[in-house]
Amino acid sequence: MNLLPKPAGRILFFLLLFLGADVTLLAQDSLKVDSMILSNRSGLENVLQGSVAGLRIKSWSGTPGAQATLNFRGLSLNPTDHSTMPLILINGVPVLASPSNVTGINPLGYYSPEQIDRIEIIKDIDQLAAFGVQAPNGALNIIMKEGQTGSIHVRGSAFAGVNFLQNMDYRKDAFYNFNTLARREVYGNGGFINEESVMVDGAGDYGSYLFGLSNHQDQGIIKNTGFGTQSLFLNAKYNITNRFSAHFYNNMSLANRNGRYAGEFNRMLPLPVISDEGFFMDKNRNVGFVSSMGLTYQFGSGFKAGSVAGISYEGASRDVYTPSNVLDGNIYASSAAYKRQLITVNTTISYLHDFSDALHLDMTLGNEIRSTDDRLTSVNGERNMENGGSDFVKVVTGYNANQTNAMSDHEKEKLVSFYGIWKWKYKKDLDINVVLRTDGSSLYENKWALYPALGIHYDLKNGLNIPVKVNASIGKTGVLSRPEVYGGALDAYGEYYGGNYLGVGLLYPAFAGAKSVGVTQMDFGLTFAIHSSLNLSVDYFNKTYRNFTYQRYLPNISGIDYEYEAGGAIGLAGVEVSLDARWIQTTRFSWTSNLNFASYRNKVKSLPDEIENTSLAYLGALSKGDAVTSLVANKSQQPVIIGNSDPKAFGGFTNTLRYGNVSAAFTLTYAWGADILAESFSSRYYADRTDNVFPLKNAETPYYLTSEDATGRTVYQGIRTIEDGSFLRLSKAVVSYHLNSIAKKLGQLSDLEVFVRGDNLLTLSRYSGINPEENITGSRMHDLSYTGTPLPSSVALGLKLVF
Amino acid sequence: MKLWNYIPIAAIMLFFSCSKGALTIEPENRTIPGDYYNSFQEIQQAVIGGYVDLRRALLANYAWTMYGEVRAGDLQAVVSFQDMVAGQHLTGDNRYLAQVTDWGYFYDVIKDANDLLEIVARADDEALNPYRRNLFKGEALALKSIAYFYLARIWGSVPSAEKNNFGKSLTNEEAVTQSALFAAEAKSLLPWLLLNDDGIESVALTAVRFNKTAITMLLAQEQLWLGKGQEAYDLLTGTFTADTADSLSGFGVSNGIDRRIEIPQSPLSGSVLRMPLERLDAIYPQGDARRTSMFNISAGTNVATLIIKDASLLELLPKREINLLLAEAAWKAGFLEEAKTYLITAAIGATEDYSALSEDAFGEALLQERQRILVGTGQRFFDLIRFDKVSSYIPEFTQADVDKGAAWWPLSAGSMKSNGLGQNSFWSNP
Repeated sequence: MNLLPKPAGRILFFLLLFLGADVTLLAQDSLKVDSMILSNRSGLENVLQGSVAGLRIKSWSGTPGAQATLNFRGLSLNPTDHSTMPLILINGVPVLASPSNVTGINPLGYYSPEQIDRIEIIKDIDQLAAFGVQAPNGALNIIMKEGQTGSIHVRGSAFAGVNFLQNMDYRKDAFYNFNTLARREVYGNGGFINEESVMVDGAGDYGSYLFGLSNHQDQGIIKNTGFGTQSLFLNAKYNITNRFSAHFYNNMSLANRNGRYAGEFNRMLPLPVISDEGFFMDKNRNVGFVSSMGLTYQFGSGFKAGSVAGISYEGASRDVYTPSNVLDGNIYASSAAYKRQLITVNTTISYLHDFSDALHLDMTLGNEIRSTDDRLTSVNGERNMENGGSDFVKVVTGYNANQTNAMSDHEKEKLVSFYGIWKWKYKKDLDINVVLRTDGSSLYENKWALYPALGIHYDLKNGLNIPVKVNASIGKTGVLSRPEVYGGALDAYGEYYGGNYLGVGLLYPAFAGAKSVGVTQMDFGLTFAIHSSLNLSVDYFNKTYRNFTYQRYLPNISGIDYEYEAGGAIGLAGVEVSLDARWIQTTRFSWTSNLNFASYRNKVKSLPDEIENTSLAYLGALSKGDAVTSLVANKSQQPVIIGNSDPKAFGGFTNTLRYGNVSAAFTLTYAWGADILAESFSSRYYADRTDNVFPLKNAETPYYLTSEDATGRTVYQGIRTIEDGSFLRLSKAVVSYHLNSIAKKLGQLSDLEVFVRGDNLLTLSRYSGINPEENITGSRMHDLSYTGTPLPSSVALGLKLVF
Repeated sequence: MKLWNYIPIAAIMLFFSCSKGALTIEPENRTIPGDYYNSFQEIQQAVIGGYVDLRRALLANYAWTMYGEVRAGDLQAVVSFQDMVAGQHLTGDNRYLAQVTDWGYFYDVIKDANDLLEIVARADDEALNPYRRNLFKGEALALKSIAYFYLARIWGSVPSAEKNNFGKSLTNEEAVTQSALFAAEAKSLLPWLLLNDDGIESVALTAVRFNKTAITMLLAQEQLWLGKGQEAYDLLTGTFTADTADSLSGFGVSNGIDRRIEIPQSPLSGSVLRMPLERLDAIYPQGDARRTSMFNISAGTNVATLIIKDASLLELLPKREINLLLAEAAWKAGFLEEAKTYLITAAIGATEDYSALSEDAFGEALLQERQRILVGTGQRFFDLIRFDKVSSYIPEFTQADVDKGAAWWPLSAGSMKSNGLGQNSFWSNP
């Protein structure tokens, strides 16, 4: 508990000793979506933002359809790595959830929040271990709504609103190179946002059904762009016999996003205004579907067998055309397609045994097969107007082979796993979970790894009459380490003898030691009801990640540049606190709150020897105990740590008030203590032009970064400011009114609700840019890579109907 | 059908799903060494890989001529760092010069050759018939030999990259001795003329791959470097006889597209290599027939441009060097008259009469003819070292400088990194 601040520790101790009595345990492991504040923006992560202690959702980009970054107790050596994203499951089936690198469209936008019943939060190792290497950083299980009893219900909802920008004063205008005129050309208020969904459902002895469709459109605040998605879905259960049932879920989505050249990809806009973008084209199109089929057979003797097969597929394509008036006489076109598929089959046999009235065992043995297949093909070409071509030509075809580059890449991966889960339950007091999972991966020569976990959950209420539930767990899991390196790789060197012969040689040798990153996790949690209406949970966790795969650069007499090696260890520990309160609960008036808070610390535990000769050289300035997320720069040719991109604490605060038919709710999100390194837009020099001395610029810091340009020249990049990225944001607010009297008059209508909802309404921050969360890596780079477009605010008016 | 009946089917499916074979995926976008090299074409790709690395070693930033004629002041290359090389400022702050100072590509050739030897040893008879097995093994050894020989001639003392003594610092003599051993073995394996893929002898293919003529010349060079004149004489006279005259072939690297875009695809195109007229006059006096056959002398300019007869080939061991080597070997072995005959045969077009050369004057004449005849092959500076004439021809260096190591190139930062090496005593304080 050394991570807990001292005053908090004392309060905790006090509460533990003296509070008690009336206990209701409300572990926040499942969030009912209907009771949450939905978002005007697409993407389920926006619904979850600020609601779960420890789930950090950074709204880094204002581009509609982009995914906010999700991190749930995740840490990696690379701040842009998707591997820290939690596993996303739909009805227990893993799905593709990270944005494709071709279109950047968010797969979590394929699902209308209206069709979701609840989201289960899985973070402790004795639950995570059952997912093995798929879930080293938590998991979110999205449970879809099922049909409700009755022959037919029809539910409709719709909202429409506008996006607008705040905070766009010229002093914060770094994004647009302080070019107000150009900014006005690109960004504008009033982009329309609307969503409609209809669902039909019912249930009976036969099972249940629910189907529907939804449409979401968002024009954002960047002119002439926009995002839209449509989906059709079905969730059906069919009782074939009273023991044998089948469950089908399907969601088919189309998504599209149009971009523009200036304001999205190139923000160094020429004065006085940008070029005409009339012929510019950037069309992103995704097709995503998820389909699962589950069969369950209940035997008479406590045995149950089940099998769930799932397919998650996404086809993403992007077509770009840049006309000559933007590219100074050159025209450029490219087309790329990225197809991803994930197939899983999970088969289990469960057995429930009662040893006595007090002791029960629920045992599950399972086998999971997971196969991914990702294919990328792309073609691009460029030609000069002098050699033909026209602004009007918007296709790549017609370019000859010398001007066209084509590329194809393919990655396949298989995972076969066996697992056993033994849940012992003694009376109501004690649960012991034992999990053993073994994962066999196609990525490694030594295929198999074993992941065990043990969890103990003890409720002190019955035995000791203390309103506290204690849980502790320990276990191991892993992160699949890429790329597939165990076989080594050959490289094509060049052509010889009139181009008739191809020279081939070794790129890197086989690495038999390739393995997944090992993750050891320990959890300790306390949940106690201070009062029947006040519930506090405090969780502590400690994770260690070991054996990252990296390149070791070899002495140049070796004849190859590098070989792979595994090593290094980093740690992440933290405290998550969640307070749920029902302050007032009467038939007329109610007021509930959730305050959550998480404070994490990460650190280097060990790094490879002679790290400067490895691909981890960028961590070379860190020593044991330093934060992995440290911001490092040079000062007088010596590397120094100048900040930490991770916040000291973050969380959310949600209040829901209801008076009669009127209810109001809002969510505040906050993060405090993150540093933002803002690179200078003007102090950037070739080292050889400045005698290898960084020339300090007035009103900027003495810190600078070094890099090499494409020709190998060293470049010094000055740092303008190191800023405080703390913020407090009114993320979501909604006021709704149930028109019960009208609903009653209309007979068939059982509920009618109108609402006004706002997103991102107010942000308090000292950050000099637009959005304190806009930098994925914690650095605002001079070319604004990994920095998002401004995050818009939006207000929408909506309606919900239930027949 | 009862549910229990499905159990064996499920068990079989599970068994196969978790076997190692089921968990092994053949990647479509990458080639893995373990499964490759099953046919002669694939093994030949490994051979070509060695040649491409040799080409990188010599062509990157016009290295072959920087090590040779540019450093000796004979030729000029139209590149930004030419003056630094010609002025012997080899540790100057220039990234292209730094690349030329790095020996990485030569060690890449050695690694390729060692890998190739393993591949050939592993290959079955179906993949390699005896001709191809001998050829590829011979080429691997020849590539290793030439790489070590270049390393030793450029940097003096160099580390070994052989498995048995990896990283061990070899003296110049040890390095060249090792090279000569590889070359001697290669000589017994390589054919005079190579067969193309249709099984027909191909002169054009032989010119860009190691062959018996080339390896014999290389071995002779190495023996002469080591001062073994008699052995070189025996080798050359024993190999190049009247019977073999029709089978001779030079050797050079074929130019072409390289995966690394910084490697020039056609380094000999245009007028990259040139000589100031003053220098040309000094080397090839008026009346020397080779002035106009080897150089384009444009009126009104003070520059002569080297004529490249075949821009697709960078000559390293041209046939015309055979008589020069025979002359040198015969001279070193004590057969002066025979040596003069070889020199006269080699130096057709020269204005000088070499028939009356004395023992003492022969060396100087030979050195001069090598300079004239072999211009463009990158050997000039190595000749100055071998003939111990660096301080005589390079005005920047005294004999004391040469004794401290001035004739060798400095080590690049990359070459010293992780190799436990330090700069030689001259270049650490030039």
